[in-house]
Amino acid sequence: MNELPQQLVNGLLLGSMYGLVAIGYTMVYGIVQLINFAHGEIFMTGAFGALTVYLYILPNGTSMWIALPLMLIGAALVSTTIAVGAERFAYRPLRNAPRLAPLITAIGLSLALQQAVWAWYPHAKSALTFPEIPGGPFHIGDVTIQTGDIFLLVVAPISMGVLAYFVMKTRTGRGMQATAQDPDTAKLMGINTDRIIVVAFALGAIFAAIGGVAYGLKYGQIDFRMGFILGLKAFTAAVLGGIGNIYGAMIGGLVLGVAETLATAYIADIPGMDQFGSQSWADVWAFVLLILVLLFRPQGLLGERVADRA
Amino acid sequence: MRQRSLIAITAALAAGALTLTACGSRDEDGGSDSGSGGTTVTIGVDAPLTGDLSALGLGIKNSADLAAKTANKEKVVDGVTFKVEALDDQAQPSSGQQNATKFVADKNVLGVVGPLNSSVAESMQKVFDDAKLVEVSPANTNPALTQGTDWQTSKARPYKSYFRTSTTDAIQGPFAAQYVYNDSKKKKVFVIDDKKTYGAGLAATFTDEFKKLGGTVVGTEHINPDTKDFSAVATKVKNSGADVVYYGGEYPQAGPLSKQIKAAGAKVPLVGGDGIYSADFIKLAGASGGGDLATSVGAPVEELASAKEFVANYKNAGYKEAYEAYGGYSYDSTWAIIEAVKKVVEDNDGKLPDDARAQVAAAMQGVSFDGVTGKVSFDEYGDATNKQLTVYAVENGDWKAVKSGTYTG
Amino acid sequence: MSGVGPVEPGEGTRAWDTDEPGAPPPPRRSRERLALWYSLHRRAALTTATAAVLLAGGGYLYATRPQEPPPPAAPYPAQVVDVTYLEQVATPMGVRPRTFSFAVVLSVASGPPVTVTRIAQPYAGVSVTSAPQAPFPTKAGSSRKIVVTMRVTDCGKTPKSAGLPFLDVTLRNSRAIQVQSYILGARYAQDLSEALQVACSNDTG
Repeated sequence: MNELPQQLVNGLLLGSMYGLVAIGYTMVYGIVQLINFAHGEIFMTGAFGALTVYLYILPNGTSMWIALPLMLIGAALVSTTIAVGAERFAYRPLRNAPRLAPLITAIGLSLALQQAVWAWYPHAKSALTFPEIPGGPFHIGDVTIQTGDIFLLVVAPISMGVLAYFVMKTRTGRGMQATAQDPDTAKLMGINTDRIIVVAFALGAIFAAIGGVAYGLKYGQIDFRMGFILGLKAFTAAVLGGIGNIYGAMIGGLVLGVAETLATAYIADIPGMDQFGSQSWADVWAFVLLILVLLFRPQGLLGERVADRA
Repeated sequence: MRQRSLIAITAALAAGALTLTACGSRDEDGGSDSGSGGTTVTIGVDAPLTGDLSALGLGIKNSADLAAKTANKEKVVDGVTFKVEALDDQAQPSSGQQNATKFVADKNVLGVVGPLNSSVAESMQKVFDDAKLVEVSPANTNPALTQGTDWQTSKARPYKSYFRTSTTDAIQGPFAAQYVYNDSKKKKVFVIDDKKTYGAGLAATFTDEFKKLGGTVVGTEHINPDTKDFSAVATKVKNSGADVVYYGGEYPQAGPLSKQIKAAGAKVPLVGGDGIYSADFIKLAGASGGGDLATSVGAPVEELASAKEFVANYKNAGYKEAYEAYGGYSYDSTWAIIEAVKKVVEDNDGKLPDDARAQVAAAMQGVSFDGVTGKVSFDEYGDATNKQLTVYAVENGDWKAVKSGTYTG
Repeated sequence: MSGVGPVEPGEGTRAWDTDEPGAPPPPRRSRERLALWYSLHRRAALTTATAAVLLAGGGYLYATRPQEPPPPAAPYPAQVVDVTYLEQVATPMGVRPRTFSFAVVLSVASGPPVTVTRIAQPYAGVSVTSAPQAPFPTKAGSSRKIVVTMRVTDCGKTPKSAGLPFLDVTLRNSRAIQVQSYILGARYAQDLSEALQVACSNDTG
């Protein structure tokens, strides 16, 4: 049986999730030049928000079709509150401080959020089961797609389209572009840059929340550490695609996901590469790819679309 | 002004993070001073108390605590009050080594129970051995820890102060292989491990025996324990035509792996070692995990009268977390230290000698008692002489014992 | 303290427990009746009283008899039985092709006698018999030598070399019936591997 189509789908699914989270990194970076390392934890708290809605707010046995939208709203609320709160109380006071200060703050915040969930969320010391969408897997030719993956397949492109429309067509979106280009001039032109920055954090958080719900549905479990590695990968995806560019984040995520999957699946088949082919080496190959891309295109895959200030 | 608020916030955050970490890792050891007076002996516990494996680690900590409390209540050693101090190793060898150094520095520590992970044990052994501080692991199964790296050809005990109450993978892997090949009649295996000391070692002993029996290994894979996405691996398993998967590693990865393999369309059982024998595995593997197998050290709890008593006492003590796979072994490890201390104290007219650590380590070799998991004593390598193991299968959302074995070689 | 109450008993201050002068004392009357009944049924009364005293005393003695602790439940057979490998021995009763024998020692540590109802081994191409033939009992504190004879029926279903082979012994005592695998260690593995190789290399049978 030909394994390639299935592996490509596996990679695209993983990549879509990276992409959803990467958008938060790239938007915040595009506007305030801050690498928000706590974003992985915003993704994690989103998933816990959704689980809270399912476990503690909805009555037992609510159909997933009713529960899912409410869980998404709950996830988005939790993520946004934390992200906006972090912006207001942790990052804003440091906006004119040296670059390193907000970066360290972000790392501290990331640890604090992880440990807070570990300490205070009920039973969060081990992984928690996440509700699943009922129904069997779908088969298209050789490709098997799980019900949990359908959500990702549907929601990732839709939300991406909505975001593109928002950034390109709405007043706030254009304000964001202007702030990304030159915050001082944008301010002179009457744009409330503080508000724009809050919007950027909130939008990133909503995407992270969607990603968090998708993660729970796909793997059927969430834990307090889920944001750490995924956040790192999403950040890598954002850099790969060209940090600051929202399309780049999505493309970077997809490329990274497919690269990891194909590396796991095929590197071992290359003669002499047997011991470099397992999944534990997939990250290495993904980063080799990142280095290669950055060697030839330091601005990332789609880096030219954004005014370069770095 | 900006600078100052920056410092304030960073400090606040750092303090917050530290406090939160401390919340988890510090043991609540209140009430230990209210003992009968006399000497207080500290028994250290090193286990992952946070992170993925904390379910197992907290079970180890609580069981050790229960043993110390029982010894104090029954005044097992006259004039000596036992106190448990638990440190968190986060399943990281580096943290384990730091904890080992900390225990060595504390003169009251006469024995350490732990760790959970064989990889962590490797980093701790030398530190303890240099200080002649006895270490009894309830859970390490890698043969090299007691029998040296060349254990297959020539056994040589590397550290005199290291003991364990669990069976080794030298028996566990082959036992699983024979069950899978002869009883389950599976001939084509896909072997996966997590590249850690425990997982890779166990997978190797399994593979070795499975091949000797005439089975074929249709694929091997090493997963990255940091991720939860095993879809690429699952697809490989499906296309390999394997009729069984062996996984050397622990349940946080094994659960999702089993689930994703079945979701990919390969309806084959996943088999693992004691690292996946946890209620959490069943939770994580979900409904499709029925029929998955695990070997674990020891006889089933319901066969041992002493184990029943332990289960009841554990429940009465009101610990928040379950005792999990190694609770009984942890209790016995702690009790072995208590017995060794008892012998040393009794031989020295009821007082602790000056070189208590060295004497306790020496006394450990001769310890023998009926513990939770059966008779507890150690052979010339520091391995448990009681080498029982059991194959469990997931049935209706629970582990059910399907075959037990005793090693008498 | 003075002037608190009436010095002389007034209306309604009389104590309730003093008898009315005119009322007959009821206890005395019942006592009289009892005495009358006793004088009529003296023998029956004495018998009943003796019986009651005897019953009560016996009951008391029974209830407070030195309590023997309930005997501990018999241990599971696998927890008290030990099987160790002794050596390879000559096959009893003539040499049949592809047949070899091992001696093992089975000992029972404690509890009720344990009966071995079956000895088997896991390879599909090998059949097992034992001497003494199963089932046979073994008492606590004793051990017995068992000669296990294996016959290779199908070399294709036999491993070329045995890694960590075991014997499946079915044990029974008053508590349970169990199949326990006894892994007999490296020496047994080596001897078994050699015997299997010999058995499957000469195509005589």
